[in-house]
Amino acid sequence: MSAGAPELLLEPESVSESVEIVPGDILARSPRQLFWRRFRRDRVATASAAFIIVLIVVAILAPLVVKLLGLQGPNVQNPNALDAFGSPTGPSAAHPFGVDQLGRDVASRVIYGARASLIVGIVGTLVATLLGTAMGLLAGYYRGWTDTFISRTVDVFLAFPVLVLGLGIGAACEVRGCFSIGGTKLIQPGIVTVIFIIMISSFTYIARIVRGQVLSLREKEFVEAARSLGASNSRILFREVLPNLLAPLIVYASLLIPVNILLEAALSFLGVGIRPPTASWGQMISDATPTFSTAWWYMVFPGAALLLTVLAFNLVGDGLLDALNPRGDR
Amino acid sequence: MTHHLRVASVLTAVSAALLLAACGSSSSSKTASTSAAGGTSSGPTVPYKTGENMATETLNPNGTKGGMLTSYSSEDYLHLDPGAAYFSGDYTALYPTQRTLLIYPPNSSTTLAPNLATAVPTTANGGITDNGLTITVHLQPGVKFSPPVNRVVTAKDVEYAIDRGANPNVGNGYFQAYFGNLKGAASAKGGPFPGVTTQGNDTVIFHLIKPTDATLIGALQMPLTAPVPEEFAGPLDKKSPSQYGTYLVATGPYMFKSDPKTGKVTGIGYQTGKSATLVRNPNWSASTYTSAYKPPAYLNQINVNIGGEAAVIGQQVLKGTGVVQEDTPAQSIVKQAYEQYPTQIEFAPGAGDHYGGLDTTSPPFNNVNLRRAVWAAVDREAIVKARGGALVAQPLTHFITPGTDGYKESGGAAGPNYPWNTDVNGNMAEATTLMKAAGYPGGKYTGNATLQVVAGNNGNAPAVAQIVISALNSLGFKTHLSEVDQSVMYGKYCGVPKQHINVCPSSGWIRDYDNPLTILYVPFNGKAIVPTNNSNFSNFNDPTINKEMDAATLIQDPAQGAQAWANIDKQLVDKAVGVPEEFDTQPNIRAANIQGVGDLWNVGSWDYAYTSVK
Repeated sequence: MSAGAPELLLEPESVSESVEIVPGDILARSPRQLFWRRFRRDRVATASAAFIIVLIVVAILAPLVVKLLGLQGPNVQNPNALDAFGSPTGPSAAHPFGVDQLGRDVASRVIYGARASLIVGIVGTLVATLLGTAMGLLAGYYRGWTDTFISRTVDVFLAFPVLVLGLGIGAACEVRGCFSIGGTKLIQPGIVTVIFIIMISSFTYIARIVRGQVLSLREKEFVEAARSLGASNSRILFREVLPNLLAPLIVYASLLIPVNILLEAALSFLGVGIRPPTASWGQMISDATPTFSTAWWYMVFPGAALLLTVLAFNLVGDGLLDALNPRGDR
Repeated sequence: MTHHLRVASVLTAVSAALLLAACGSSSSSKTASTSAAGGTSSGPTVPYKTGENMATETLNPNGTKGGMLTSYSSEDYLHLDPGAAYFSGDYTALYPTQRTLLIYPPNSSTTLAPNLATAVPTTANGGITDNGLTITVHLQPGVKFSPPVNRVVTAKDVEYAIDRGANPNVGNGYFQAYFGNLKGAASAKGGPFPGVTTQGNDTVIFHLIKPTDATLIGALQMPLTAPVPEEFAGPLDKKSPSQYGTYLVATGPYMFKSDPKTGKVTGIGYQTGKSATLVRNPNWSASTYTSAYKPPAYLNQINVNIGGEAAVIGQQVLKGTGVVQEDTPAQSIVKQAYEQYPTQIEFAPGAGDHYGGLDTTSPPFNNVNLRRAVWAAVDREAIVKARGGALVAQPLTHFITPGTDGYKESGGAAGPNYPWNTDVNGNMAEATTLMKAAGYPGGKYTGNATLQVVAGNNGNAPAVAQIVISALNSLGFKTHLSEVDQSVMYGKYCGVPKQHINVCPSSGWIRDYDNPLTILYVPFNGKAIVPTNNSNFSNFNDPTINKEMDAATLIQDPAQGAQAWANIDKQLVDKAVGVPEEFDTQPNIRAANIQGVGDLWNVGSWDYAYTSVK
């Protein structure tokens, strides 16, 4: 989807309102101020942003939070919390979210699981955005063979079945890893590979959008003006084009984060993501699947956490999008 | 043979107790009487409900003929070649399709019966002569191979079957252990050797160099003894690995569906990882059984569905019709069945256990004190819970399983009294002391090595792996856990000594036959280590213990033999040759309309030749 040019940050209303002008009561606002003002008006988006901030703080301070709540650590196995058949017990005073099949506290693991989701979601998206922006910039600005080459490369990656790729890597590189450089194996199921897979699957989205934006931006007068003044290509790219991309990039990246959080959960669910015993919401949902009929809490709580997080990021992203583009035509 | 990953495939002491009661040997396990089921020394007992104890099953003499059975197994077969198969899951398809010389009837794991042979060789019937050096077996006349071979089985087919046990292309895991005392066996490579000869069409003669007749006769129920036609399998055996298994011929009441001209099974009667189809063997005749063992073969066809989640399979079996689960039910299913479907679950007392392999040939576990520290640190009660609780498991305290000679002599449920063995809940203080003795004064491992841990990925195996990892981590070891399909785990990693996988927490063992040799030899004798399909998961090779095992096989008096094997068992605990987990009782579930008969000697797995649809 195209988002229009950054000039849309100029709010039409500020020009068309016919109000008596009293010095001091109407101030010219910068596009950024207008942007935040519109965002703050969106109550839902603001609440979601607050939720995300709280989540990030909780994730960073997870050990402290767990201690304050009086919970056991996420990897403490407690067979006494299981019944005589080894089945997990449900929510209780000692374990507000119940325990899992090894007697580990689910609330504690949900809190620590936020780390995996947030790190992978945010870092993965960041890396994908960097790569996608670079490719989109080059393709859109230089056009010609560069564009053709980059665009076809992006098409190839778009066609990649990402989950299948993840499964394949998991199967092939599970025990000994693949592609060693100087003794260390580069590809092994785990957080780095998950970020790599996320990067492959989402950079294409950013690259195409950036390319589209750049194609229209490069025809704008200010770019022509800069060129006529003798600015080099790299200066135009970095000083004229890129700054105008920042706002849409922030928006699309923020919409990409929840997608990637879900992708991480899917990969962990399939067994190729974060390695156990590190807590991960996707892994917890996967472990809970066989026992769902008898131990609902084990799936419901990480599932709810995942749902709320993804929802919050989506709402924030929508809020940012609306704040960026108040005319509403997408 | 190797055990199912999940479920305490090990038969627990309880079942063993019942079994012991049946065969008259006295032991402390007899106190776990017929009414009580699982029970640890400290844990609660959970009683069996009526009909749940498979040790008291009947052989379904009045079953309804006909019908189709759907058998679910989340684990795939490892081998269909009777010369290579060495896994309880493989046996569920092999024994209904291949006639071994002897066999255990479904309701006995101690008394052999003739199958292809006319009688179990004894001194009285002339089967054992020359002071135990010559064993003679006569074959049932009129037994025919299935299509495409179609002819009558002769003694030469049995001779060829045993010859190929030494063929490296076949990869048999127990030839040297059980047939190694035959003349010329040590140097046999797949061709004829003087230890097995034939006389006429229906007599096979075994020539031993040492009087280990009891060992050999027990081994005559192994799948290796099922006849193989040389004109059909010879060209297949020349390939490496042998292609017999992709192409098969049957002698049992059932056969894998195959191409009628070529006998090809793969792609027709067996889709790897997906399904298998067993149909009636048209050349099988019920009149070729003259002893108590007479499989009624009620079913017309068995459809095996391979793969899937154990918990889902469990629901389908408990709530469905015409279905059974062939491998281990998930822990949550065991609870559900016990509480809500008590007539559909049966527990098999048995001779199996689970323990983790610890590679003793590479650092760090070539250090015996480090192994002892791991032994002390592991919480065996937690592992019991992960398998399903006292109903299906008891902590493993030594290696001879309940129900086998030497179990009581080796300490029974409590096991040998070494400091690292006394606390089944795990004893970190003792583990720390042992770490210090191993050369780590801080009580924690400070080396650079990251342990490779390869575990199964289905059923209870991941949970057990986590418990073992937790113990390793608390000792300071860094671990790298990989969860793979169980056939990959055995076939590619834990069964291949060269891989030097440090810890294999999902391995287990079931005794091959009623002799402590079959629990201790293949898993722990250095001579049993083979390059592939290895079952000595710790690659353990101690020359003193190897010699003691050889000496123990020669002992004729059962009581003395039991004591000798118990002494070896104690030494294995002394050397901490594995990660102790549990002795198992295997649960087996079936649909309400299935009259199930389970093979007690094979963890109670449903016997297709006796089971019927109601």
